[in-house]
Amino acid sequence: MKKKLLKFSFNKALFLIWLIIFFGIAIKSPSFLTAPYIINVMLRNIVEIGMVALPMTLIIITGGIDLSVGNTMILSAMLGGIAYTRWGTAAAILVTLLTGAACGLLNGIIIAKAKISAMVTTLATMYLFLGLARGISKGDSIYSYGFAEFLGNISISGLPIQIWLYIILAVIFTLLLGKSIFGRKLYGIGLNINATKYSGVNTDRMLILIYTLCGIICAIAAFIFLGRFTSVKYDAGTSFNLKVITIVVLGGTSIMGGVGDMKGTILGTLIIATLNSGLTVMNIPIDVQTIVQGIVLIIALIACAVVTERSKKKRIIKVDTGEGIKSETA
Amino acid sequence: MKAKELMKKVVGGTLVAAMAITMLAGCVSKTEAPKADTKTEDSGSKDSNDDGDMTVAMLPKFKGENYFDACKTGAQEAADELGITLLYDGPSQDQATNQKQVDILEGWIAQGVNVIVVSPNDPTAIAPTLKKAQDAGIKVVTFDADAQEDSRDIFVNQITAESAAKGLLDGAANDLKDKGYGDSKTANIALVSSSGTDANQKAWEDAINALLKTDDYKFMQIKNPETDVYYPGTDETKVNSECATLIGRMGEGEDKIQAAIGLSSMATPALGAQYQSASSKPDAKVVSMTGLATPNALKTYIKDDENPLNAGVLWNCMDLGYLAVQTAYQLSEGTITPESTSIDAGRLGAKDIVDAQCVLGDALVFDASNVDEFDY
Amino acid sequence: MNEKKKKASFLTTEFYLAIFLVVVLLLLGVLAKDFYSINNMMSLLNTFSYILISAIGMNMIIITSNIDVSTGALISVVCLFTAALGKAGVPFAGLLPAAMLMGAALSTLNGLFITKMKIPAIVATLATTQIFQGVLPLLVEGSIYDLPQSFTWLAFEAKIFGIIPASVLICLIVTVIALIFMKYSKFSKKIYAIGNNANGARLAGVNVNRTVVITYAIAGALFGISAIIIATAGQRVTNTMGTGLEMTFIAAVVLGGTSTAGGSGKIIGTVIGAFILAMIAPAINYLGISPNWSDAVKGAIIIISVVVSGAKYLKKKRVIPAEKLAKAGGEAS
Repeated sequence: MKKKLLKFSFNKALFLIWLIIFFGIAIKSPSFLTAPYIINVMLRNIVEIGMVALPMTLIIITGGIDLSVGNTMILSAMLGGIAYTRWGTAAAILVTLLTGAACGLLNGIIIAKAKISAMVTTLATMYLFLGLARGISKGDSIYSYGFAEFLGNISISGLPIQIWLYIILAVIFTLLLGKSIFGRKLYGIGLNINATKYSGVNTDRMLILIYTLCGIICAIAAFIFLGRFTSVKYDAGTSFNLKVITIVVLGGTSIMGGVGDMKGTILGTLIIATLNSGLTVMNIPIDVQTIVQGIVLIIALIACAVVTERSKKKRIIKVDTGEGIKSETA
Repeated sequence: MKAKELMKKVVGGTLVAAMAITMLAGCVSKTEAPKADTKTEDSGSKDSNDDGDMTVAMLPKFKGENYFDACKTGAQEAADELGITLLYDGPSQDQATNQKQVDILEGWIAQGVNVIVVSPNDPTAIAPTLKKAQDAGIKVVTFDADAQEDSRDIFVNQITAESAAKGLLDGAANDLKDKGYGDSKTANIALVSSSGTDANQKAWEDAINALLKTDDYKFMQIKNPETDVYYPGTDETKVNSECATLIGRMGEGEDKIQAAIGLSSMATPALGAQYQSASSKPDAKVVSMTGLATPNALKTYIKDDENPLNAGVLWNCMDLGYLAVQTAYQLSEGTITPESTSIDAGRLGAKDIVDAQCVLGDALVFDASNVDEFDY
Repeated sequence: MNEKKKKASFLTTEFYLAIFLVVVLLLLGVLAKDFYSINNMMSLLNTFSYILISAIGMNMIIITSNIDVSTGALISVVCLFTAALGKAGVPFAGLLPAAMLMGAALSTLNGLFITKMKIPAIVATLATTQIFQGVLPLLVEGSIYDLPQSFTWLAFEAKIFGIIPASVLICLIVTVIALIFMKYSKFSKKIYAIGNNANGARLAGVNVNRTVVITYAIAGALFGISAIIIATAGQRVTNTMGTGLEMTFIAAVVLGGTSTAGGSGKIIGTVIGAFILAMIAPAINYLGISPNWSDAVKGAIIIISVVVSGAKYLKKKRVIPAEKLAKAGGEAS
């Protein structure tokens, strides 16, 4: 009960922050508060990052991290684009998804089976995927094709298709983390991997599964990214990685694992989206935008640290009540 | 119970304070922004939607390097002359990607600026966004590098690829001939480009390759395009380290490289600097270096007799920025259209427009005798 | 030379790495003789110097089971700062301490942020990265160029015996001090203790927060030294000089066998790791392979190296790793 109140207040605070930023910008700059701008610029520009932040939340809740998501996305987009020029659309879709899944699977296997820390593993695969994308494309751009353009640019009943996709995925992931046994197990892994393991959860398989899932979502984001920008170059994903993590952390998920929820991530996505596009519309140079983002992140971190401090005490209580364990062994 | 209440209040209070700070931060940066942007916006760009005040938005490939800084100076000069507002923003040097440019463009399109002047990082990839701008009634001018022809109204070209290539190769060839190379003694050359997708560098590279096949230049050759054409991108540290590797490969002999040509304004100074810092310098009497760069960036190397970097090639960057803004203004005013055949570009006089391309002029070759005459 | 004694004693990660390095160097000798030209070796050593100096700092941070992803941005700030001083004519003797102080100051900020606010290092430094990066263009519009001779003195003129860049000497001094320091000083024992078990260290009377902050400050001073080597490489300093380097430093540390869980790791491993990373790009170029493949090679080497050393570790202690993982997760907060 208490925990719920506290959680609620953090998310509510995030929501308030978002409202204040949103309307602050809207007052300053009227051209911001128009439906086309909000839909076509603010929301569309964040979709890929927001989408990847969903599985990233799962990974961070287990105490892991994935520094290679941006590069996975670019590599899948590239191989897909190359496959398209050779064998057509169906092959392109298949290759993109398979590449994403394979990248995630590789991360998952190394992390779960070889017991290498997630940060080291994904740091190495970041170089590997970046390097593969660079080597295969020889540094050239890969251009988009029909299917990617469809996903990147078409609107259905007023909303671009990628926003629909994001909403669907967001709902699925919220349910997956918040309402399923699978989700409970993830928290378990984040809180205490050994206890979870000995209570009968196949933690290795769970880890491999979520990293692979993350790879697949990266591949879906790859279509949209390629479609929206009409081309990708090997280095396009480099700053993407940290942006995704920023959003998840901003949403109150603890990098130590075990704490966090999907609603926070979604709110984090909205805040960053609003800041990005809002500051652009106010003609604030990109550099200053980075500072503002940094400050917002710091504030969220401090606020989150306070909340986590509290909930850490609750953690013990929660395990004592047996609620967590019951659902895990079920 | 009370402790808990208190805690909740503390958390709440922290967050409220946090929000306040956030907004404050936002406001602070708002007031700082125009200053940071070197007084570009002092005429109140926030009213840019007003029809009476024309706003020209200029987007370089990246910010923070002499070349585009010089373009901006010229652009500002034109804007002041014409009494219009100039917005200037671009990606930082390490993020000179199409994605960043598109993000900035979308912001400008939403505000409804009058003209967009852009130097694209990727000509094809930026096209859909530029078309979107055109659909919104914004005129699009490309400068420095072109985009797809149907996505812009006019391209302000600093130099044709052929004359750029010729200028660069002449610089190298003359120097090499002085050093005893020629038809009887061939020379290997290496190029330091920027990135593989850059329209200019690609066009120049192609033009150089074409010229190398002609009689005048055939004593020079690119032996292995895989390793002898470098693509270090725009990151200063990376450019430096790849140039250092290249300098290490220079010297006399068939498996060495005798001439290095920098194709970007970052690469050429890096070649000069890395030669300077090399431990056992390849003999300046047998090797040669040249390339594109602003005179200021090369001054010391050119004046140094020990350094084989003897000449640089460029066009007048300030004039390029000036011409781009002039073109943008007149295009928006309706004084010229893409079909026009000439433009009266203020202090530059009349310039020809051919096939919706406005060419600034020929290459400017500078060496020890005249490098001090330029200041950018 | 030093490694030899260690090789004999046990089969460590450093040992495998050293073998790997020797094999690659021999192969290069056969396949690309020019690789050993004085010029290439010296420019390689220069790159190696600035990677290693920072990697040593990063190693210390990682041993305390923290991390710093803001190093690249920090180095950019310091580069610009020293360039501004250099433009005013300050000679190298003044630039070096200035850079170290600046680096230490900024890094201390990170340390305080992590310890006082109790924010995990990776996200705390992620936030400061954005601030460092954003502040830069506000300080200097564009680049600082046409820097005087006194500024480029280190790269252009300071050569030992007329051949070896002075940066190598600086690096050698730093490495030797670090080796002695990490082996014999009391402070280094505290660092290892914190990385192994922060609570245990606290109970044993170690002031954990202060030690971590001091570690960051020391590392910051080392980043400052790297920054000055990077900045003085040419007559122009732009505001992205250090971008992305943090990953190279972390990779060098990881490659050298330091676990990111903290508590372990030797300087000598970092030395080899840094050398391998500095070598990849030029080696690939001399072997006639397109530079486009250098990042892929880098990634593959790191992966293979950590998996091999990890597998060795797994075989020895079958049960402990999971426990250790969980422990590391719990403690670090």
